[in-house]
Order: sequence, then structure tokens, then C-alpha cells
Amino acid sequence: MSWLRVKTVVRRHYLVLWRSPNRWFDIVVWPLFDVLLFGSLGAFVAQENDASRAAAPYLLAGIMLFHVLFQCQISVATGFLEETWSRNLLNIMTTPITEMEYAAGLAVYALVKLAMAMAAISLAALVFFGFDLSAVGWALVPIVGVLLVVGWALALVVIGMVLRFGQSAEILAWGLNFVVMALSGVFSPISALPGAVQPVAKLLPTTALFRGMRTVLDGGAMPWGDIGAGAVGAAILCALSYAFVVYMLRTFRRRGYVTRFS
Amino acid sequence: MGYVLEARGLVKRFKSVVAVDGVDLTVSAGERVALLGPNGAGKTTTLLMLLGAITPDEGTVDIDGHRLPRGRSRGMSEVGFVAGYLPLPDRLRVREALSIFGGLCGMRRADADRAVALNLERFAVAHLADRMCMDLSSGQRTLIGIVKAVLHQPRLLVLDEPTASLDPDVAFRVRSALLEVSGNEGTALLVTSHNMVEVERLCERVVFIAKGRVVADGPPADVVAQYGHEDLEAVFMHLAGTRLNEADI
Repeated sequence: MSWLRVKTVVRRHYLVLWRSPNRWFDIVVWPLFDVLLFGSLGAFVAQENDASRAAAPYLLAGIMLFHVLFQCQISVATGFLEETWSRNLLNIMTTPITEMEYAAGLAVYALVKLAMAMAAISLAALVFFGFDLSAVGWALVPIVGVLLVVGWALALVVIGMVLRFGQSAEILAWGLNFVVMALSGVFSPISALPGAVQPVAKLLPTTALFRGMRTVLDGGAMPWGDIGAGAVGAAILCALSYAFVVYMLRTFRRRGYVTRFS
Repeated sequence: MGYVLEARGLVKRFKSVVAVDGVDLTVSAGERVALLGPNGAGKTTTLLMLLGAITPDEGTVDIDGHRLPRGRSRGMSEVGFVAGYLPLPDRLRVREALSIFGGLCGMRRADADRAVALNLERFAVAHLADRMCMDLSSGQRTLIGIVKAVLHQPRLLVLDEPTASLDPDVAFRVRSALLEVSGNEGTALLVTSHNMVEVERLCERVVFIAKGRVVADGPPADVVAQYGHEDLEAVFMHLAGTRLNEADI
């Protein structure tokens, strides 16, 4: 693994980011409106009766932690898609960079974008609704860590699909996040979901993490059980995603799909 | 003999179509080789297998002694690739894009920036350094592509249609640049082209592929003599199955 090449990938995408105003929608604009939407929804519900006063923190913490996963996934996936949009994939493939170095570069770049996005939405939540995400306490650290891994793993799935099915699969870069959001109980326990989808929701590592988040917001102890379950699930998801993308890359090379992107 | 590129028994099938059928190809250090053939002969598929972008169904590829795919990273550090049809990344300035390619080839940023400045001057395109890549003309793109490919001083330059759709004066500059790189640094060239005049000027050996197989391999004059024609263009026409009258030729 060459750290020099990893750093170069980060620099390449960072330069593109500064030249692409449209990318700032994903980092700042949509997250801000999400905070406004879910924060106001929570504030409204909390006004209705005292029993619902936890709604605003649930919704705000939920959307903010969801953005950890979203930013990681979208940064890695669109970083790869950038190479397909600018027909640069063959240029990259004919340099010495390895797949692992390239993926590591995108993962680091995702952390940079995540820091920017979290700064923006944390400030918005504090200014508009007086909500401080640090209210989740130290549990925030492992929960965010595991969400990062899930975000990277989902991005590998998207990249694998694009390698196999071409650019038509890029819709998953955005869509997949919302499937996870709907099924993970980001804002409410999964018991509120229709019974038919609850077994799928229980399998997602994110479900345990958001449950753990609500436990802490309710004043409970550090939810090690949920964090552990989330971490194991994330590790399994990561291994499966890695195997999937390796298989798809092998198929991509065997079938000569690089010509689709050049 | 030290080959910078050695491919043996390459076979590639796409469903029922055999695109490449047992191709052997070697390029020695400093050698200038043209890979020729009519459309659909299997040139690009062969080239992409040599670069590790497509996996052969059978056969082996060694670059500077590194067997693909395992040795791809080390092998590719000795290869520069230019294709006339391949753009440089959008939304980057030429200087930035080149510096990044240097980095991807393992160069430290300061070394890459120095090599970029030096080679932009060398190929007389320093005035394009701050231009956005997406704003380059095809001729400028090819010249910048050559700068990109030589930054890390590879032992082999692979060029796919480097002068396709270029004006004759720009094509001349590209050829001169390639001859300079080969002459000064001993870099081997592997070129595909449909321009036979260019091939005769640039390469000392030609490899003709037809229907996925190597049908001729040798110095241009020998290949022309082998087919009993007057020049490479007539050999090309012959292999493409085109019959021409003497007057047409």
C-alpha cells in the first residue's frame, strides 16, 4: 500500500470538489434542509403534548447520524462515479495504483467531506433548535465509527453494481441510502414498521446503532449490546461488500467492460 | 533478450466471438513497434489485455518481468499510456491533472510538479498549463497525454491511435515528440494506428493482426515484401479484404 498514491486520490477529488458547486448540495444544502425538516417536525410534535417532548432530539440525532452514513457512502460512490463521468477510468487503470489504494483514497476523502457536512448540520441544529449532538455522549464515538464502516460498505456495493451494469446503476448511489434510512429505524423503533419488513430491518447493523442512540438520549447507559451487534453486522456487511466488489471487478475485467467507460 | 513487454498465447472470447486468438507479442527495450490491423481485428482488445484492463481467457502478459495480474502495479510503473480518444479528467487544470497522474505513478508531489513543468516545456505546451483539461482541443489533449505518459520515465509507451483525427501539423508534432522520447530515453513504443505513412516514419517493426491472429511480424520493408505489395497501406488493404484497382492505389 502506497500512502503517496492514497494521498493523490484524496487530492484529485478534493480539487474537483472545489470546482463543482453542485457537489456542495450533498455536503451542505440537503443536510441543512434535512435538519430544518426533521427539527421542525420534532418541535411540532413536542408542542402537542409533554409525552412527545423526546421527538425533537430523536429526529435530530437520527437525521444527523444518518448523515454520517450518507456522507460516507455518497462520497466514496460519487468519487468513483466521477471517474466514469469524466471517462477517466481507463487512465486510472493504466497507472500503478491498486484497487485497495484507490478505495482507501476515496475513504479518506469521504472523511474530509463528512467533517464539512457534520460541521454544517451540527451548527444548524444548535442555532435553529438548540440541539447539541454531543448530548448523545461518548456513545457517539463508537456509533459514528460503525456508521462510517457501513457507509463505506454500501459504497462498495454501489461501485460493484456500476462496474457490472454500467452507469444506469448509479441511481443506487443516492437511492440505497434511503432504503437503509427507511428500514433502520432512524427516527423510531422498527416495531413501527409494517410487520412484513421488520425481519429485514432486524438484519441491518444500522438498526441496532439507531436503537442504541435512542437508549442514550433516553438517559440509558452506554448501549454496548447494540453497539457490539452493529459492529458485528457492519463487519459482516463490509466483508460481503468487499467480496462483491472484487467479484464484480473480476467480471468487469473478464468481459472487457472498461470500453463502456472510455 | 530483455523484453519490456512479453505476451504469449493471448486468447480472448466474447461469448461466441473469438476476438483474439493466440497472439504472441514482444517488445524489446527501446524498440518501436506498430500493432496494425483492420477494424475489428483485435488490436484494442489485445492492447487492453497488455495493460491489464481486460483479463485474457488464456495466455500470459509480463511487463518488465512482472506477470499480470499479480504484478500489475509494479509492471504499470514502467508503462505510460496515451490514447487519442481518452480525455483527461474534467474540472482539473492541466498542471493539476498531470501532477496527479505523477502521484498515481508513485512520484512525490514536488518531483511530479518538477517533471510536469519540465515536460510541458519539452513538448512546447507550457502555455496550456493553467488551461482546464475539458477545454483542450484533440491535438492539445494528445500532446498533454504524451506529457502525462512520460512523467515517470517509463520503459514502455503504449499509444492507441495517438494521431487519429489530428491535423497533419499536429500529427507531425506528436510523432516528433515520440521519436524524441524514444531516442533520448530509450523508451520502447507500442503504437496502434490506421495511418500507414505515420507507422513507416515512426516504427522499426510492424505486427499485423487479422481476425485475432498475428499474420505478419517484422520490419516494414520485410512485411511489404512478404505480401508482394508496394507499401504498408497496400498490405493493410489486402488484410482488410479490400480490392483496389492499380489506379486507386
